[in-house]
Amino acid sequence: MENFESEVSSLDDETTCLVNSVNSVSKKDEPSFSDDDRIDTRSELKFETVVENEGEKAKRKQIETALSSECTPLLTWKSLAISRFGLVSDDLRFTAWPLLLEVDPSTDEKNPSLQELSDHPEYNQVILDVNRSLKRFPPGIPYERRVALQDQLTVLILRVIIKYPHLRYYQGYHDVAITFLLVVGEAAAFRIMEKLSTENLRECMEPTMEKTDYRLNYIYALLYNVDRDLHDFMDKAGVGTMFALPWYLTWFGHSLNQYKDVVRLYDYFLATPPLMPLYVATALVIFRRDEIFAEGCDMASIHCLLSKIPDNLDFETILIDAMRYYEKYPPEKLEKLVRKRVEKEAKERKKNEQMARNRMNRQKSLWVRFHNCIPGWLHMTRRSRLGLVFATATVVIGYLYYIKYGIEMQHVPFGRLKNSKSSGE
Amino acid sequence: MSSNGTIRNTSNNQDAHPYKVIVVGDSNVGKTTLTYRFCEGEFRDKIEATIGVDVRKKTIKIDEEAIVLQLWDTAGQERFRKSMCPNYYRNADAIVFIYDVTSPSSFTSLKKWVDEADINCLFDVPRVLVGNKCDHAMTVSRDAALKFADQHNMPFFETSARLDSNCDNVESIFVTLAHKLKNGRRFSPNSNPDVVTLTATVIDETSNQRSCCFLF
Repeated sequence: MENFESEVSSLDDETTCLVNSVNSVSKKDEPSFSDDDRIDTRSELKFETVVENEGEKAKRKQIETALSSECTPLLTWKSLAISRFGLVSDDLRFTAWPLLLEVDPSTDEKNPSLQELSDHPEYNQVILDVNRSLKRFPPGIPYERRVALQDQLTVLILRVIIKYPHLRYYQGYHDVAITFLLVVGEAAAFRIMEKLSTENLRECMEPTMEKTDYRLNYIYALLYNVDRDLHDFMDKAGVGTMFALPWYLTWFGHSLNQYKDVVRLYDYFLATPPLMPLYVATALVIFRRDEIFAEGCDMASIHCLLSKIPDNLDFETILIDAMRYYEKYPPEKLEKLVRKRVEKEAKERKKNEQMARNRMNRQKSLWVRFHNCIPGWLHMTRRSRLGLVFATATVVIGYLYYIKYGIEMQHVPFGRLKNSKSSGE
Repeated sequence: MSSNGTIRNTSNNQDAHPYKVIVVGDSNVGKTTLTYRFCEGEFRDKIEATIGVDVRKKTIKIDEEAIVLQLWDTAGQERFRKSMCPNYYRNADAIVFIYDVTSPSSFTSLKKWVDEADINCLFDVPRVLVGNKCDHAMTVSRDAALKFADQHNMPFFETSARLDSNCDNVESIFVTLAHKLKNGRRFSPNSNPDVVTLTATVIDETSNQRSCCFLF
C-alpha cells in the first residue's frame, strides 16, 4: 500500500491517455463526480492495520533475515508463506512475492499501444469490471490515484491476455490482478499474473468454464471423505458448487471482507499447489458446519449463508486443516470420486429432464399436443389471425352470393342445352 | 464483499415452495441492483461484478397467500453462461430479462438471451422484459422494446433501480411474476392473463409518470 505515490508517478503518456478513456466510459455508470466524491470512503473492504502482535513480530524478524540473505532457498520462502501469519505485512510481501514465484520484476516489456488495448475483444468487459471494483481500493484513497490505479489494472489485465491469446479474461480475474497490483506494483504484478495465468489459473481462463465447473466437484469429493454427514446434508439440499465459484476464481479476493485476510490467503496460495483453494474452500465449509446444519436443508439458504463469509474467521486454523486434508486426500485420490459424482449428476439431470418432459406431456391437453405438431410457420400470430378472418369472410360472402344468384344462373346453360336439344328435336 | 441478501429480514414462510426466478441480461445492465432493490428495498451504488450467481429470497403476499420468490442473480459475462447454463436454468419457474435502456447493445443481445432460455427451459415458463436505468436518457426506443416483448409474448416494464419513486414499479415486476406463477400452478400453464393485467394496471395507475408498465 505504501507505494501509491511511486506507482502513480510511473504512469507514462499512454496510460494517462487511458485515464481519459476510462473516464469517458465510467461516466455512464458514475454520472457525477462531485468534489465530495473525490475521496472515496464507501469501501466495504476493511483495511484496518492492526499493531503486530508478538507472534507477527517474531515472524517479521524471520522474514527479514531471509530477505537479507541472497541465497534463501525457495523452500524457505514457501514455508514462511504457509506457516502462521504468512508474510505478515505488505512491505515484506513487496519483495517476497516475486521471490516466491521466482519472477524477475526488473525485466519489463513494452506496453501494448492504447490502440492495441482498446481493440481487444475483452476490452469493454475489462473496463466495466475494473470500474466497478472500487471496493478493492483502500478507503480514503484520493480520486486521481484510484483512477490511475484502475488504469494500471486495465492495462495489466489486457497485457496478459494480449500476450497469451489462448487465455480468456473472466469476471473475477480483475480481483486477483488488483491484489498484486496494490502490493507489488505494476511491473512485478505483470510478471506474477503472467505466471499464474499460465499455471494456476490456466484452466479458469479456457474458452469455457467446463473444467472449472468440474474442479469445483473436488469440494464434495473431499467432504465425502472428511465429513460424510455434512456432505449428505448439502447434497440432499442440492446446494451445488456455485457458492464456491468466486472463491476458486478469485482466491477468495472477491468474497472476503478484510484486506488482511485476502493477502494472508494469497501468501498461502502462492506457496501451495494450484488446487489448494478448493481444499481451503472445503475446510471453510466444514469450519461452518454447525451454521449450515442450523440453516435447514434448503439450497438457497445454504448458498446465501456460505457466500457471505463472516469477518472474524480463524483462517489460520482453516489453512492448517486444508493442508491436512491435502496431505491425506491429494487430488489424485479424489479424482475417481469426482468423476463418479459428475457422471451421476449428469445422469440425474437427464432423468429429471425426461421426467419433467413426460409430466408436461401428460398435463397438456389434446389441443396443445396437436398444436405442438404444427410447424412454426403455420402458427397463428395476430396478423395471420386477421388474415384468416378476412379470408373466411371472403369465402363466406362468395358462397352466399353463389347460393343466391349462382344457382339461378346454373340453370341457364342447362336450360339452354335443353332448349337447344328441344329445338334440335 | 459478495453481495448476497439475507433471508431472515424478509417475512419468512419456510413451508411455501419457493419459485426460482432467474434474472438474466448483459453485463452491467443492473441485474444485481434491481434484485437488491426488490429484496432489500434500497439502491446500492458501486456494486461489483457478480461472479457465478447470487441467490436472494423474498416473500410477497398475493391474495393472502405467501409466495416465496428465490431470485437468481446471474453473472452477465458470456463465458459463465456457456458452461453454467444448466445450473442456472434447472427447474427455473420464471425468467426476468433485463436490458439497459442506455445501451443498444444490451438490447440487441436480448435475442441471444431469449434463445438461450428457449434451449434450456423445458417448460414454457413466465417471462418478463425489463428496461433498466430509465432515469438516464434513453437510447433504446420504447417501441422497439414493446415490439420485442410482443413478439416473445411477455410483459414489458421500464424501471430504474436508482430512483426511489420507481420502487413501486420494481415491485410490480415481481408482483406480476408472482401472479403468473400462482395462477400457473392452479391452472394450466400460461392461463388467466386477465388477472395479471387487472392487478398490474392498478399498480400502473399508482406509479408516477416516469415509471411505466406495459402489459398485454
